[in-house]
Amino acid sequence: MLKFLGAAAVVFSCTLIGMTVASSYSRRPGEIRSLLNALQMLETEVSYGATPLPEALTHVAERCDPRVAPLFSRTGEELMTMRGITAREAWETALNQYYPKSALTRADRGILLELGNSLGVSDREDQVKHLVLAKEQLKLEQAKAEEASLKNTKVYNYLGFLGGLTIVLILI
Amino acid sequence: MSVLRQIQALDINKATPVDEVLNLLPPNLRQMLSELPPAVKETVEEIRIRQGRPLMLGLAQGDGYVSEKGAVASCLSEAYVVNTNDVERVTQLVSRSSLYALEEELRNGFITLPGGHRVGITGKVLTDQGMVKNIKYISGFNFRISRAVKGVADRVLPYLISPEGRFFHTVLVSPPRCGKTTLLRDLIRRLSEGIPELGFPGINVGVVDERSEIAGCYRGIPQRDIGPRTDVLDACPKAAGMMMLLRSMGPSVIATDEIGRQEDVAALEEVLNAGVKVLTTVHGSSLEELADRPALRYLFKIKAIQRFVLLGRSKGVGTVEDIIDGRTMRSLGVKRC
Repeated sequence: MLKFLGAAAVVFSCTLIGMTVASSYSRRPGEIRSLLNALQMLETEVSYGATPLPEALTHVAERCDPRVAPLFSRTGEELMTMRGITAREAWETALNQYYPKSALTRADRGILLELGNSLGVSDREDQVKHLVLAKEQLKLEQAKAEEASLKNTKVYNYLGFLGGLTIVLILI
Repeated sequence: MSVLRQIQALDINKATPVDEVLNLLPPNLRQMLSELPPAVKETVEEIRIRQGRPLMLGLAQGDGYVSEKGAVASCLSEAYVVNTNDVERVTQLVSRSSLYALEEELRNGFITLPGGHRVGITGKVLTDQGMVKNIKYISGFNFRISRAVKGVADRVLPYLISPEGRFFHTVLVSPPRCGKTTLLRDLIRRLSEGIPELGFPGINVGVVDERSEIAGCYRGIPQRDIGPRTDVLDACPKAAGMMMLLRSMGPSVIATDEIGRQEDVAALEEVLNAGVKVLTTVHGSSLEELADRPALRYLFKIKAIQRFVLLGRSKGVGTVEDIIDGRTMRSLGVKRC
């Protein structure tokens, strides 16, 4: 009886691990999509409204997917303090807080960091160029992420469960 | 009594004009400049930041370097040298990290700050078909601290208002840096508020503030006290602005700064014909000098302007050298006050 309970616990926990890994694969495409939407909003604020960056970021944070909103709201808040940091530094601070909790990979983070270098430091045309570039790169990552998600979500779900079973069989 | 004391206490606690500007500097420069002795702080007119060169102050009596400890240094070797990082941070702070939102301002070479102060900007200028398009690689700033001087209009006002209590068409004539805009601003405020001593009720004043110097607008809101009945078109070309005000705001006086071009004079004539009073300024040191400029000569010919106020600095900035009746071209007997 005790053996049976133990075996069930092993299978259960392995399945959970598998599902967690799988969910990080399935969350990523959605998060990148939300980021793309948010960057699109930022581009509109910059190119049509010429809204100053702190306000533009706050507007975006209010309207975009709550999963990515902290990145924008935090950057906006940092800039509003006027304590002498650059937009790049504010963006990096916000990104470093946001990244560990997100499903993004290092490649996604790299694209966002790169975007931070140019935030607010040039004229409208140039800002739009940088935003478009970041969006293009994120779209590529999104395609990759979707592919990986299709492939890996099921794999890890099964792998967890079957791995659990294997361990049980070996131990028995 | 106690209320009065409270008000006085509030006045003391209020940030000085320099402090308003310091908030827009990076922490290290802010620290240095806030260490300056209060006597220096009160007389600072300019803070000059040039990449790779010493941090400097423009004071009422000449200029001075600022040392790292926050004192006015007399020799170059003690001066703090501005680095790339400082310039980058100043750019971010004055533009609120949004250079793209300031293309219009950069084209004019300055940004108006909260409090009505202005920062002049230099760098590499980008042009498009001969027109200035933008400034790139920003490397120099001149923070010009503006202090409202109230009461400068008091001694000239009696000459600008007729015994029947009507304002005369007035032109202020002055060389640069003689307090022309300061006097103009104070005149606008007094006309707008009304002048009880002269039995003059407040009237609607329309201001076309092409260079954002009169009202010092920040995001369209005047930062200077220009009176309760004053409407401002900020950063608007003078000729177009005068017509807009005439059509839409029903002003009794239209005030502008630095008339000089033919189109400005033409617009001014429209204003005169509409029965609206005119208050404006021109660059120049004497009426003879003005008569040599074609656009202004016409203005003399039609004898529309009733009062010319000549400014100079023979007794310090803002000395009223003379006031001349535009009809008879004779002095009204005001000398150097």
